[in-house]
Amino acid sequence: MPKTTLDDCALWGGAKLFGEPKPTSGLHRPSEDRFFAYAQSIFSSRQLTNNGPLVRQLETRLAAMHGTKRCVTFCSGFMALLITVHTVALPGRSEVVMPSATYRRMADIVRWAGLTPCFTDIDERTMGVDAAQYRQRVTDDTALLLGVHPIVKMSDVTGLEALSCETGVPLIFDSVEAAYGTIGGKTIGSFAQAEVFSMHASKFINGFEGGYVTTDDEDLASKIKRVEAFGFKAQDVISELGCNAKLNEVHAAMSLACLDEIEEQIGHNRNIFDCYEKALKGLPLDLVHYDTSEKRTWKNIVVRLQDGWVFSRDELLMILQSENILARPYYSPPLHIKDGVVVSLPVTEAVTASSCVLPSGAHVSETDVADIATFLHFVHAHRKTIKARLVQGTLA
Amino acid sequence: MKQYISQLGIFGHEPLFGSILPVGQINLPDEDRFREMFHGIFQRRYYTNHGMLAVELEDSLCRLFGTRNALVMTNATICLSLICKALGLPTGGKVIVPAFTFAATVQALTWAGLEPVFCDVDPASHCLTGDLVASLANGEGVCAILGVHLWGNACDVSGLQHVAAEYGLKIFFDAAHAIGCTLDGEPIGGFGACEAFSFHATKILNSAEGGCVSTNNDELAEKLRNLRSSYGRRERVETSIDGYGRFSEAQAALGLISLEDFPKNCESNRKKIKLYSEGLASVPGIRILSPTPREMHNYQYMVLEIEESTFGLSRDELVHVLKAENIHARRYFVPGMHRCVPYNKQFPQFVEALPITDSLCSKVMQLPSGQRVTEEHIGDICLLLRFIQEHAAAIKGIL
Repeated sequence: MPKTTLDDCALWGGAKLFGEPKPTSGLHRPSEDRFFAYAQSIFSSRQLTNNGPLVRQLETRLAAMHGTKRCVTFCSGFMALLITVHTVALPGRSEVVMPSATYRRMADIVRWAGLTPCFTDIDERTMGVDAAQYRQRVTDDTALLLGVHPIVKMSDVTGLEALSCETGVPLIFDSVEAAYGTIGGKTIGSFAQAEVFSMHASKFINGFEGGYVTTDDEDLASKIKRVEAFGFKAQDVISELGCNAKLNEVHAAMSLACLDEIEEQIGHNRNIFDCYEKALKGLPLDLVHYDTSEKRTWKNIVVRLQDGWVFSRDELLMILQSENILARPYYSPPLHIKDGVVVSLPVTEAVTASSCVLPSGAHVSETDVADIATFLHFVHAHRKTIKARLVQGTLA
Repeated sequence: MKQYISQLGIFGHEPLFGSILPVGQINLPDEDRFREMFHGIFQRRYYTNHGMLAVELEDSLCRLFGTRNALVMTNATICLSLICKALGLPTGGKVIVPAFTFAATVQALTWAGLEPVFCDVDPASHCLTGDLVASLANGEGVCAILGVHLWGNACDVSGLQHVAAEYGLKIFFDAAHAIGCTLDGEPIGGFGACEAFSFHATKILNSAEGGCVSTNNDELAEKLRNLRSSYGRRERVETSIDGYGRFSEAQAALGLISLEDFPKNCESNRKKIKLYSEGLASVPGIRILSPTPREMHNYQYMVLEIEESTFGLSRDELVHVLKAENIHARRYFVPGMHRCVPYNKQFPQFVEALPITDSLCSKVMQLPSGQRVTEEHIGDICLLLRFIQEHAAAIKGIL
């Protein structure tokens, strides 16, 4: 139901705009038949895990999609990142240069690897990492450059590759939000020493849980593959410290089923993005745009609050979430603030404080977007009275 | 059955079995039940982040363990690493642990920034005892004891707890093998600060990959929930580091089906262990590591020690001969963790310090078990083992 008065808002006793939550997560549901067709292999191979036929098939297909020689899958994106950081970082050095505006567990992943995060600021234009900032942070103790692509635009990966080449410090990328994309026509996944992706249900490929790494370095891929399976080089032969980070066959079946449907998913995402673009016109909310000359998933809807939008980011999120619009802050708080690290990162602080992510993915229809936008127009039109009520509420 | 040693697979004859008989349960779910459970997931469109199936599995596991908390996680190795953080074990701290265990037990400590203090084991039980641990408990930096209930038989829990109390050490258990087993009639799951179980495909309760932590300590459980994910936590609790150990609805579906099948699979395992035990009882040089009498057990492993001097072949030679018959028996644990990289380099003081472990590492093996192994197979395997033993000298001569 569209809102006509303030009392129609859920914050003040009205019915929620949506009966079901509208998330920002992908949550692609593949065809059940397709999933069961892949899963059939489990019953014929009698293999549920330990590098089974579905995992091997998935790794081959992902490597082909990203244009790399190798792909190694994992039980999660977290473990994919941890093992890649552990394996690629230069031994005997302790620091990892990385952004602060990123995945909230990223600094702790670096710490699990026994290393120390060294936070850098981001590029205002791309919201991604900035090679010039990385250059300032590289010292004799830098073990790794950990680049991250932001969730709509792309980071300056070629600038970072040049820095890595020049300094001899290896470079890896967390490219989960850039999956499927291209830079100058070259596919994401084929840059740096290795690129890391998540297959959590909320991501581009829904594997229930999962992750993967792509690389052209055969030795690195083989080493990572050993580390994720207890360091076994052969039966009863352990060649290095390992752990368990294997992807199981059921998750691999799900990932394969989703991989068959990526064009369909991107078509949906593009429609949703276009709807937002049209429907948000006239509001002081700046929709962050994709580069139309490259391949993109079009999945993420990021808006930056402009002058003239009277609500703070947190007020906006409160208003939206009360209506079951599960908008989220953009990488907030950034990691240096979360961890109490004293460092000046003005762009990171400005961007994360003024940006949020709006619902998209399989659970959001074009009608939903129209309803969300109508509600945002309503909120903006009644900004003075809503703001006054919020302030009163806060004071009360 | 073979009548002459020339008929052995190792001498080029066709193998005793047409397909491979592996070690490990690999109990597949019923296909219709699998479809039904996964159809439900697709209907709900809820795939992970502590969904309703994960909650249901945790509730069932609490009842099985008789504990206040059971927390399902990605796998048992991750369980063990997250436990170390939840217990607040300090970086660089030392943990007393057996070297006669699967690699995961020790590797999980390393990822949590801890150092192993390798302890020898009891030759009869293959597990730690209070007496063995006591001699190491006073070492500088020792902060915890990690006992392992190997083969589903409880280690010396009261002995270990006594030492832990005396020296102010934390104590927790790797119970990867021990689901459904008891100690003095009490289910394994409630001992120490917490216990970690494995739901790997080779285990009797399987979710393809997976694991779980059981504990009666609510505060520890809440820290573990926070370390696992923000989903499913009951309150926000500070931990020294954040982790990730989510368990998907797919894993939970498999775990629930496997739990339905659990009594049936235990009973089937029990019959198989009984057949093996009867069939091998009088074979010279074979010691069967039996499930602890008068306790509940899952009977998932058929564990033997091969005494070369009486059997006539070494364990490694026997495994080699069996493999050629498509009997994929496995050696445990080769090598012992104290002789594995990186520990043999980092902690060379343990390499020659564990004589019982070294001895077990050279003579312990497992025979095939689980869904693929029928009672007929077991009869044939026992006859073959007897045949091999009777002709051991001749076989060894040709080998």
